[in-house]
Amino acid sequence: MRIAIEAVGVLAPGLPDWDGAQAVLAGRQPFAAAPLAPCVPISLPAAERRRSSPTVRLAIAAAEQALHRTALSPQDMALVFSSPEAAGVITHQLCEVLAGSREVSPTQFHNSVHNAPSGYYSIAMNAKLCATSVCRGPWSFAAGLLDAAVQALCDDVPVLYVCYDSPLPAPLSDVMPVVEATAIALVIAPKPAAATLASWEFAVAPAEGDVAWPGWMPAAWQANASARGFEALATLAGGAGASAAMPLSPELNVQVARC
Amino acid sequence: MCGWVHKGGIQSTTAMFMQPLAVLSYTITSAAGLGKANTARTLREERSGLTPNDLTWAPLDCWIGHVGAAEAVALPEALGAFDCRNNRLALLALEQDGFRDAVAAARGRLGAGRIAVFLGTSTSGILSTELAYQSRDPATGSLPAAFRYDTVHNLDATTEFVRRVLGLTGPAMTISTACSSSAKVFCLAERFIRLGLADAAVVGGVDSLCHTTLYGFSALQLVAPDICRPFDTARRGLTIGEAAGFALLERGAGALQLMGYGETSDAHHMSTPPPDGDGARRAMLDALERARLSAREIDYINLHGTATPANDRAEGRAVHGIFGTGTPCSSTKGVTGHTLGAAGITEAAIALLSLEQGFQPGSPTTREVDPETRCAFTPHGQARKLARVMSNSFGFGGNNCALVFGKDA
Repeated sequence: MRIAIEAVGVLAPGLPDWDGAQAVLAGRQPFAAAPLAPCVPISLPAAERRRSSPTVRLAIAAAEQALHRTALSPQDMALVFSSPEAAGVITHQLCEVLAGSREVSPTQFHNSVHNAPSGYYSIAMNAKLCATSVCRGPWSFAAGLLDAAVQALCDDVPVLYVCYDSPLPAPLSDVMPVVEATAIALVIAPKPAAATLASWEFAVAPAEGDVAWPGWMPAAWQANASARGFEALATLAGGAGASAAMPLSPELNVQVARC
Repeated sequence: MCGWVHKGGIQSTTAMFMQPLAVLSYTITSAAGLGKANTARTLREERSGLTPNDLTWAPLDCWIGHVGAAEAVALPEALGAFDCRNNRLALLALEQDGFRDAVAAARGRLGAGRIAVFLGTSTSGILSTELAYQSRDPATGSLPAAFRYDTVHNLDATTEFVRRVLGLTGPAMTISTACSSSAKVFCLAERFIRLGLADAAVVGGVDSLCHTTLYGFSALQLVAPDICRPFDTARRGLTIGEAAGFALLERGAGALQLMGYGETSDAHHMSTPPPDGDGARRAMLDALERARLSAREIDYINLHGTATPANDRAEGRAVHGIFGTGTPCSSTKGVTGHTLGAAGITEAAIALLSLEQGFQPGSPTTREVDPETRCAFTPHGQARKLARVMSNSFGFGGNNCALVFGKDA
């Protein structure tokens, strides 16, 4: 099965955008850690920006990067958002309140749903097509990518795919050690067009041993499901390999090969 | 919209025809009963499974849909790390109606790697995390050493647990779009099977009672102080319930079939639908188009019908806009409660039961239908031959899904 990649967005400490990330992913430039500036998605009205969580802002800011690089309209795209833990800091705050006063903030409660990022995004962009929020624990990148590719092909529709990890506060960080934010956004189309970056032949295949992490990547990011996408992005940056594998389960990988 | 203009080009039309998928087996466990026979009896007798809230750990003045039998379920020793209320409820449901046997037979026929597992949930085993936060170390703030996040609280924990119980190795993932989660898994399965990534799929959903949803919906003032009364003039909100249910779908025709589906976004508000129910309307129209059916070919609609004033009015108007007053509809939330991430599978199972048994469910807690909702809301159930039914599920984030099921003529 083949899909076209129209545009990419990247947000991580030291990788502030796709232009900056390509040289690192292609091995032309060493990775240099740098703090990630707070995400300020311009599509969210100020009131919504204030009400939303850091995870929402991260996901939408990554999506906006990709949207700037495509002529396709956000209103014409289906949405697949994927994260191992989208509520994150909100879960922590809710659990603290529930262990004490139990006076839950209504805004915090509706922000706690896993699809809050895609919900806020759809409101900001007036995106009214199908929106799906995926979770597959540490395998969330491959699962969401697979879902996005399948939807693009089945419904003949461009799909915005965003995968993201937001840092968790203590004590949740003891059991889910995400310490830095990473996010990847892809605009996927069912067929290539003039502005297409590249096409991916993708397949679900049996896993043969563990998939290695990129050598340049900070070890701490191995807790981030979205960081599994960097090997796939390297195929677009003209990097070391023209193909990449991402774990979907202990038994399966999603493979992409640039073509 | 804020700064992003439509860039022109072709307006996408996502709806298209689909080949029906066979529903080989299904099961549902909720406050309305364990398994299909008990659920059907509750529906026929026009009883409610809801009870006044007696949870000592969440003393709120409301009603609940409680599956007490889940609490005594023991997980297999090898899967002990997955132990939590949500996974106990999942296992209880898997044991009903010969569902595990049906999956084992399909696994033998098709191979474990050709069967996908797609489940929906909104809160997974978050109750375990809530309890862990009540037992933090006073000095360090750390959680109890025995607490597990990945196999208990992560939204994928139940999917991975069910996949292992059933011995399946096909593609698996969790959909979490609040209260449409376990309806959307049917759509995912259709797409994966259509592209040949699987030959069959176990779909479903599991959500269990927890502090987050009980206190969260209360904070939003969406929980009724008495039992929920869908589409009633005096409706005052929802009753939260817990449920687990599963369906086994396979390529090809069958006595019971998934015929169509529609998925849309409101792009309006995080927790309130637009007053005209536009997103719901587009989801229902897409589902009809995929199923190649006209509105008058739908015999019954199982509404989302949460019994909040705004939701019921918007859904009723959207239904009326498409079906007029010609199609009987009801909400079974007064029987099962609003089972949130499991609402999609709960009501898909009720839709399938209604087809199989020739019985149109009512809404036993509704006393006086609100004329403002306009559609043909039918509080009393009746024996009636049904061939095509629709089930609606809508969630926070303005996330809508409509499913159409049919019976082989």
